[in-house]
Amino acid sequence: MNSQPPRLAVALLNRVVPEEEPLTGDLVEEFAAGRSRAWFWRQAIAAAALTAFRRSDEVRPLRLIDGVPARVPSAPATSRRTVNLTASPVAGVGGLSLAILATLVTIFVPQAWWIVLAAMAAGVVLGVVLIAIRRTRA
Amino acid sequence: MPRSLLTDFELMILLATLRVGDDAYGVQIAREIERISGRKVLLGAAYAALDRLERNELVTSTVGNPTAERGGRAKRFFRVTPRGLRAVKETRQALVALWQDLPQLKEKRT
Repeated sequence: MNSQPPRLAVALLNRVVPEEEPLTGDLVEEFAAGRSRAWFWRQAIAAAALTAFRRSDEVRPLRLIDGVPARVPSAPATSRRTVNLTASPVAGVGGLSLAILATLVTIFVPQAWWIVLAAMAAGVVLGVVLIAIRRTRA
Repeated sequence: MPRSLLTDFELMILLATLRVGDDAYGVQIAREIERISGRKVLLGAAYAALDRLERNELVTSTVGNPTAERGGRAKRFFRVTPRGLRAVKETRQALVALWQDLPQLKEKRT
C-alpha cells in the first residue's frame, strides 16, 4: 500500500487552504495512521469546498471582475475583462474542483461516463453563453 | 440578548476540546466527537467551527512545531477560554430549561 497521501489532494489543499497548514497536517497524520485514500480525498474536497463557501461571503457574488474600477474614465476601452463564473476568490478553483469531481466520478462510477461527457459539454456551452451575455451587458 | 448560545456542533467541539485537554488539536477533537457521539466529523468543518469560535474568543489556538509524521506541518493546539466555558454552561442551562416539563419526553414508569 502506498504510504504517501494523494499528491493531487495535498496540492488542492495547499492551493485552496494554504493558511490551514495544520488541517493538511492532520489529514496526513490520519492517513499515516491507516485512513484510506478515499477518506483523504473526501476530507480534502470538503475542506476546499467549505473554505471556498466561507470566502464567498467575503467577496462579491457571481459577476465580472474588472482589473480597474468601472468609473475611472481613463480606463482603456480595450482592456480585457476576467470572468469568474464560480464566485470563488481564488482563480481556477472552480475549474479545478470540477475537474477533480469528473475524475472521481470516472474512477469510481465508470458506467456514468456519458453523464460526465454531457455535463462537460453543457458546461462549455453555458460558460460561453454567460460570458457572451455578461460582456455584452458590461 | 447577546449571542451566547452555541450550535450543536460548536457545543460538541468545545466539549471535546475540554475533554481532550491542553493538547487538543484537530484530529484529537474530531476523534473524541466520533468516539463519544458516533457522529462522523469532517476535519474541514471542525476547523471552520474552531476558527469561528476563536473569532468569538471562545477558544484560543497556538501553533506547535512541525513534525515529520505530518509531512513537516505543525499542529494547531486549541484551548477553551473562560468565555467559552461560560458559553457552554449557558447553552446547557438553556437546553435543560427547554427539556423540562415536556410530556412527550417523560419516561414511562411501569
